[in-house]
Amino acid sequence: MALLRRTRVHIWFRLLLLQGSWNFERLQGLGFFFALLPGLKKLYPKEKLAEVGRHYLGYFNTHPYLAPLVAGAVLKLEEDRAKGQQPPVEIEEFKEMVAAPYAAIGDALFWGGLRPLAAGIALFFAAKGILWAPLVFLFLYNLIPMLFRISGFIRGYQQGIASVEFFQKRRLPDWAIHTKEAAVVVLGGLSAFLVFQHLQRIDMVSWVGLLAIVPVIVLGLLARKGVSTLLLVLLSAATIILLSLFWTDVTSLVAMI
Amino acid sequence: MSLVLTRIDNRLIHGQVLETWVPYVHADCIVVANDEIASSPLKRMMMEASVPSRMRVEIGTVDEITALFGSGSLEKCKILLLFGNTADALRAYRNGLIYQRLNLGNLHAGAGKTRLSCTIFLDKEDIGFLQELDVAGVAITARCIPADSERSWKKLVPRRKLKQ
Amino acid sequence: MSAFDFFIGAMVALFCGLDRTAILQVMISRPIVAAPLVAWLLGEPLVGLQVGMMVELLWLARLPVGAAIPPDDTQVSIASCVIAINLGRLLQVPSSEIVLLCLLVAIPLGKVGQYLDHIARQINVRLLLSAEERLVNGQFLRAEVQHFKGMTNFAIATLGTYTVVVIGTFMLVPIIWPLVENALYHSSNWLELALPLIGVAVILGTINVSRALTLFCASFGMAFLLMWLV
Repeated sequence: MALLRRTRVHIWFRLLLLQGSWNFERLQGLGFFFALLPGLKKLYPKEKLAEVGRHYLGYFNTHPYLAPLVAGAVLKLEEDRAKGQQPPVEIEEFKEMVAAPYAAIGDALFWGGLRPLAAGIALFFAAKGILWAPLVFLFLYNLIPMLFRISGFIRGYQQGIASVEFFQKRRLPDWAIHTKEAAVVVLGGLSAFLVFQHLQRIDMVSWVGLLAIVPVIVLGLLARKGVSTLLLVLLSAATIILLSLFWTDVTSLVAMI
Repeated sequence: MSLVLTRIDNRLIHGQVLETWVPYVHADCIVVANDEIASSPLKRMMMEASVPSRMRVEIGTVDEITALFGSGSLEKCKILLLFGNTADALRAYRNGLIYQRLNLGNLHAGAGKTRLSCTIFLDKEDIGFLQELDVAGVAITARCIPADSERSWKKLVPRRKLKQ
Repeated sequence: MSAFDFFIGAMVALFCGLDRTAILQVMISRPIVAAPLVAWLLGEPLVGLQVGMMVELLWLARLPVGAAIPPDDTQVSIASCVIAINLGRLLQVPSSEIVLLCLLVAIPLGKVGQYLDHIARQINVRLLLSAEERLVNGQFLRAEVQHFKGMTNFAIATLGTYTVVVIGTFMLVPIIWPLVENALYHSSNWLELALPLIGVAVILGTINVSRALTLFCASFGMAFLLMWLV
């Protein structure tokens, strides 16, 4: 018995709510169960459902954008099992096996790479005062995750266990590194743009702007040492406020003389 | 050879390790000592595929990894060593894989395990193992990601559970 | 402060805050989206753009990996917008400076969000037990409902954070304002530049890229020279 398209679409939408009951004990466990339930209900008689469901309530955690890929494959395996075919890997084991690697990739590619990249580009627009900046961000950012969410689910369902090949062949972790490198370059350009714009606004000579690299690097090294962002913000703010007061005093003194 | 981080984490290689610890400790080689992963080619392949290709990954059973450390082939690497549970960490230590510091990352809940922090659940056996390491001079601390504050594991364990 | 503005802010806070963990993850929770949205609804979109610009990069490097919870930049930026717009009208002061002060006060309060989110995830553990119980009894619908209860917990945590940040900022800013008013007039331009640069610095310091500094310096220098000389 195959699942109807309608049921699969229903499950896909439920996967958008995957982390709704995220908790410290089993992380996305309950959410994954919640998402797959419409499918499991179709595949198992009521008496067996409780037992099958209990397995799904166990520990589970992966990246929300790659969860549809796991879910698709799991549905396929459940379907096969309902038909009487014994899957090559236990479904439980499959879930456990792919969850952490997928999570690692998703974290690197989306949180670590794509997010700063999209944000960096969108902030150029924001710095110019263009009101569409948020939409630029949303569009740039969501394009690829949505592709992963939709095509991942379809691919997982079509290929079952073989869906892991895609992930192995594409060398996604290297793509994550490239995305991050691109993000660093964009952020460099953005910083230059912000500094230049600022200097023009306060009528200061432009070459001073190149010196902005120094504080950025110092702050970066502090952050690398583990100094918290909050502390960096408060320290820098205090320094800037004090310096500017000092500066105004000096200039007024000079003016008096 | 320098061992920049030794960590117990049920999930072994995952986002926290790759995205936060690797840049923080500047590791260039990840070593996973876990019998289960080492014995399943598929699991092993999945785990290797989640690491960028410029990093070296070594996955093996606890004994293999202990031997690997002894062989000196990791001489030039900055190593991030991962164990899946407390028993493995102790076994490797007993067999001569010496580390000075041990980081507790994620140790999942399970039957008979009590909660020490939101990500660390231990049972009596685990506590015994860790205590043995502690006595041997390993500084054991709990810290999920570098941005969290570091806490000594003894502060998390209720006094009465520690054998005197 | 007008209750209506507070309410509008709360709606945006709920909508965007849930996106952080509980649902969707389409990044409407990012400051660059949430702040302009609420400010636009309150009639001063540029304030939102300014806030989004300054907060967006600050905690971008704190990834929501596994069980790690970053400070709640969503509520910090929404609350700053709501308060800044209201106080700006109330005290009849230029918006740029008051926005900055609101932000500087709200940023430390982002920690509250971490704390409340933590509690919500803790409470959600109980749902597992009840879901299992319902399942054994064959009450599937009731088991599913547990998942929605989890979302409710996240929603409460989100609104709680919003309220704390709003009230904290609203109480503190009018007290601090007279003390730093003058200083802020002289330094607001620089502070506005400093915040995004701190964000960039933190990203550079923590990103998993070798030679991040080289790439950054090259791209900064190149872009700067282009704007300066061309």
